Amino acid sequence: MKLITLYNRVNIVTTIAVMLITGIIYYQAISWILIDQADKSLKVEEDEVFDYVKLNKQLPQVFESKDQQISFTSAAPNSVTREFIDTLYKKDKDEVESGRGLISSITVNGKYYKILIVESKVETEDLIQIIFTITFGLILFLLLVLLVANRLILNRLWQPFHAILKEMKLFNITDNKEITQTETRIDEFADLNQAATAMTIRAKHDYKELKTFTENASHELLTPIAVINSKLDTLIQSENFNDRQSKLLNDLYSAVARLSRLNQSLLLLVKIENRLLTDQQTINLKQLIDEMLLQMEDIFADKQITVTARLEDKEISGSRYLIEILLNNLIINAVRHNHAGGEIVIDLTTAALTIKNTGADEPLDVDKIFTRFHKSAQSDGSGLGLTISKQICQSLNFSLTYRYSKPYHTFCMFF
Amino acid sequence: MKLLIIEDEEGLRESIEEYFTEAGNICETAATYSAAISKIEMYSYDCILLDITLPGGNGINILKRLKDNNHQDGVLIISAKNSLDDRLQGLDLGADDYLVKPFHLSELKARVSAIIRRKMYNGSNLLTFNEISIDLQAKTVSVHDKSLKFTRKEFALLIYFIANKGKVVSKNAIAEHLWGDGIDLADNFDFIYSHIKNIRKKLVEAGANDYIQAAYGMGYKFAGQ
Repeated sequence: MKLITLYNRVNIVTTIAVMLITGIIYYQAISWILIDQADKSLKVEEDEVFDYVKLNKQLPQVFESKDQQISFTSAAPNSVTREFIDTLYKKDKDEVESGRGLISSITVNGKYYKILIVESKVETEDLIQIIFTITFGLILFLLLVLLVANRLILNRLWQPFHAILKEMKLFNITDNKEITQTETRIDEFADLNQAATAMTIRAKHDYKELKTFTENASHELLTPIAVINSKLDTLIQSENFNDRQSKLLNDLYSAVARLSRLNQSLLLLVKIENRLLTDQQTINLKQLIDEMLLQMEDIFADKQITVTARLEDKEISGSRYLIEILLNNLIINAVRHNHAGGEIVIDLTTAALTIKNTGADEPLDVDKIFTRFHKSAQSDGSGLGLTISKQICQSLNFSLTYRYSKPYHTFCMFF
Repeated sequence: MKLLIIEDEEGLRESIEEYFTEAGNICETAATYSAAISKIEMYSYDCILLDITLPGGNGINILKRLKDNNHQDGVLIISAKNSLDDRLQGLDLGADDYLVKPFHLSELKARVSAIIRRKMYNGSNLLTFNEISIDLQAKTVSVHDKSLKFTRKEFALLIYFIANKGKVVSKNAIAEHLWGDGIDLADNFDFIYSHIKNIRKKLVEAGANDYIQAAYGMGYKFAGQ
């Protein structure tokens, strides 16, 4: 839920509740005051009757007044309790208004009478109604103003926040672009902006350090590897070795080769991520794949893998070096995880390149296969091949996906 | 042939020197920028193996100096820097080839041989080894004037062997030479074996000597003078 929606909801509900409660209290108070007023005027009338009776020893004449009616009826002695009542006020024959009445009693010349004085409440009610309408209108108006104000003002107020958020979303640690400062007069957002900027600068700095370190370490590592490799090459010239020794030497060769490939892969990753390989060429993918398949035919033959390639002409633009690595990685991946007598199917259309291979009978972990150093237990690769492929695809704005549908593991690259 | 090895890493320099010297080449070495400069000013070489990062200066400047003074020496850059820019910069400046560290000495030897062939036998593309003659341009092999059918890889492998004749070449080096270092299927080199078997068979059937020997299970040697 958006902050503004939640805020509006809370705001409106509380406003309505408060308005309703105060409205009720207000109504009650006004009603009470007006009724008290009416009661007082009824009492004055009663007093007048009492005074009249005291003076004249007879009941006053009953006359029609505009908003007050008095009636006397004889009643059994002491049967009447004095009380104020809400009753009806008969204005005309068939017109009835609500009214307020006072029942009282008086004894005139030994005769007991019940007195009923009724006043019309129309004016009181009109007054209450007007007050109530005004109040209600005020509530509605206030709510409307609140809503509009919230919409407009809050949206405007939160503008810097959204701007900062957008910048942060666009932030890419490998870009050379800094995040832009968002102009704001609001302290909280200025703070947020500052914190975000500081954080990205720090992250960039750390990343740069790490990158430089990786590159330097990688270069430094290459020299001893080169020495070991050359010493091994020299060593095997020297004399006859027994089986055990040659096995040891072979293992050393493999380990050095692996180390050097790992190192190269890491360096390559750093370079792709930093977009340091930016040469652009137009490359005919069909031609390139054909060449690669020809180059690798012994490897397929060795594993008795059947390769089916259905290739359409497709030209893409990018670094030849990277695209070769990408294709090489994907094809080698399809070989490495295949079984003897397996199958590789390569489809190239103008929309996508699909490489399917038979292999293990269960799907790979889609979330992990593209992460660094993730490899299956049987794999003897560096665990960087697919990561590099993914990165290359990203740098070329292609998407690389994996799916498994028995018996094929499928990597698909959409242009 | 006469080589100059400009490389500051002692272990590597010694290995290269030893590898080339044993094959009957004359090698001189330079470990620093200034030593290298004074050598190239004084002598000329068939091929210079040039490291880029050197104490006292950048190898690229040595290359520039060679080209500015119109030296005809072949130049092979050996560097741990493998970015495309470095490669292009080196080649644009007139280096003959570029080899990224780490490399196999046999690969280095093959590259150097190729450079020297191009320099020395200008125009001629014929490489002869005893009864075997190879036309590098047409990519054909013949023994006793009888032409043989070699596949691309067999052809490449034969040239590689001849460049490293008398040396044991490891299976790793052969695999990397033929399939590139992107292919790390080091667990199985059986496919190399079948290529070598084919080459031997073709050469022997055509009446050549059997020069290729397996060497202690770790590689092959092209024997013969």
